[in-house]
Amino acid sequence: MIDESRRVSMDIHYEISQHYFKEATYLQNWKLREWLSEMVDEEILYWMPIEENRLVKDRRPEPTPDDAAVYNDRYKHLKQRVEQIYTGQVWVEDPRSKIRYYVSNIEAFHTDVENEFAIRCNVLVLRHRRDTQIYQHSFLKEDLLRKTKAGFKVVRRKLTIDARSVQDKNLFFFM
Amino acid sequence: MSDKDVAFISGAVRMYRERRGWYRSVCNVFMVGEKSRMEMRVMINVKELVDLENATQAKKIFWDQDIYDQEQERIFGRSWLFLTHDSLIPKNGDFVMSRMGEDKVIVSRQKDGSVEAFINSCSHRGNQVCHADSGNAKAFTCNYHGWVFGQNGDLVDVPLDTLCYHDNLKKAELGLRKVRVESYKGLIFGNMDPDAISLEEYLGDMCWFLDTILVGAGGGMELMGPPLRSVLDCNWKVPAENFVGDGYHVGWTHAAALQILGGPLAGLAGNRADMPYDDLGKQFTTRHGHGFGAINDAVTSIHPENEEYADFMAETRGVVAENLGTPREELYMSHWNCTIFPNCSFLYGTNTFKIWHPIGPGKIEVWTYTLVHKDLDIDVKRSIQRQAIRTFGTAGTLESDDGENMSTCTDSNRGFVTRKGRMNSTMGINREGRHPDFPGIVGASFIGETSYRGFYRFWAEIMDAPDWEAIKVQNDNWDEIWRGSEFWSDK
Repeated sequence: MIDESRRVSMDIHYEISQHYFKEATYLQNWKLREWLSEMVDEEILYWMPIEENRLVKDRRPEPTPDDAAVYNDRYKHLKQRVEQIYTGQVWVEDPRSKIRYYVSNIEAFHTDVENEFAIRCNVLVLRHRRDTQIYQHSFLKEDLLRKTKAGFKVVRRKLTIDARSVQDKNLFFFM
Repeated sequence: MSDKDVAFISGAVRMYRERRGWYRSVCNVFMVGEKSRMEMRVMINVKELVDLENATQAKKIFWDQDIYDQEQERIFGRSWLFLTHDSLIPKNGDFVMSRMGEDKVIVSRQKDGSVEAFINSCSHRGNQVCHADSGNAKAFTCNYHGWVFGQNGDLVDVPLDTLCYHDNLKKAELGLRKVRVESYKGLIFGNMDPDAISLEEYLGDMCWFLDTILVGAGGGMELMGPPLRSVLDCNWKVPAENFVGDGYHVGWTHAAALQILGGPLAGLAGNRADMPYDDLGKQFTTRHGHGFGAINDAVTSIHPENEEYADFMAETRGVVAENLGTPREELYMSHWNCTIFPNCSFLYGTNTFKIWHPIGPGKIEVWTYTLVHKDLDIDVKRSIQRQAIRTFGTAGTLESDDGENMSTCTDSNRGFVTRKGRMNSTMGINREGRHPDFPGIVGASFIGETSYRGFYRFWAEIMDAPDWEAIKVQNDNWDEIWRGSEFWSDK
């Protein structure tokens, strides 16, 4: 889907990088409603497939959004998740856990649609909970990003988690 | 067998047990320090760990290494453990990896349609022979020295067999360690113990209940994979007991998620005082610790927007009523939280199906599949799968609430003083007994702890029993603690 020959200019790359850093800041400061309304398009498909460990010779197709997935959410589902956090009754997030996002290897490409960009980047997530709990997750994030008057909004997000068996209590956080 | 014979056998078993206790204490006095860990384990006093009369359990059952080791031998080494479902290995050569306790196994569909399971460890030096989650293979080749095992686990080829082994290797005796495999209406289970009772006997009265969904209106149910997998720092019994009978936590642990979800379950959020708790459903427990709680008329509650699913249930309930009768029709339309002893749990209606694989006393790996009616349209199955995972997957809106409780229940019972204490499961204790419409023991409300008590009753029994014979002789007495109850006789 990405046309490798259509990398964006330094200016656009700077603008897009700043968007991702701002997004990380929103998320790690629990500005989840702001994140959703300012940075997520209402057409969003927010998808984290399950990738089995398969032998190289295995010819079965790659997972699609029709298959089992950790996340397979549209806007209303993300909104439900965000609002759940603010009910004041999510005991696991009281006291709040700490989450930090390390966004790197940002590559951005033009697409056939003006103002829509294909992005891929690596994200390392560190979560600290309670007294001593530390969890880390490594992701590939692949976005279709749309530039609007109000800034960039993500239209399609595919999150590939590198761990087959997740080493954490849950993956209930946003990225 | 005459009554006299039965009396003789149970007398002999009793005598054996009493003497075994005496031998243990003698060994304890003279041999501590010399005995291996295996032998030390025999000294666990199970009766002290589970008090049936007062419905309490010792807090140390959630973290003690010796108890865990005995569970591996006596529970995971002898119980029927869920391996996979027919729908996940449909074709010749299809295989999946699974686990039985801490033993890794390969489950493989044979040419004749049967299923074989064998331990994933080479008979030469023990290396794992397969590292894929699933696939299709006619053979498994060990990475270490290249020994090749067929799809039934037999050793079929050894490199340098003639040149270096000089044809002395007894290949016929060096297949991968086989596991007993039996299935019940699509669910495939394995057992390490050749002397264990059959799967159908093991499920016992639970078959009657399971047929409600596994036969249903005809097609029964199937599993959709691949499983989500995650590691949780908790004892395997914490989620197993939660699924077998914890209707109580729903309104509090999941208060936020239920509120946001809406639909009929939202009424439970926050433990409102105006809910008719005694009329919401029931709990059930059976001979070998299997049990469940059922919430009336709540089968599709977690799928408030899925009209096709609700329509399917409404259309098929009549057939269930006709074939299986009204009590099971009502169960067909109920939401279930269920555990098949020891570690296979599911929520019927929410459609999540989970295995709690133990990895030491304080750690498990959770495998999550989706359970769906086979006769549903594929698109409806997929939308059920999305919502089941959205609520009870690794990032699930309800599942995420549970993980913290599971791991804290394990860790906080560890403290030196804490571990000497006891846990309580007394809710509804005098409001249960034999029921005219259902097998097993029936509790009056789905918010109760009847199936907790049934789960730990059998846990104590199998932990204490030297072999399956000692369990079988209790078949007529297992429900002793409920014998006096006449709770349902005038209802």
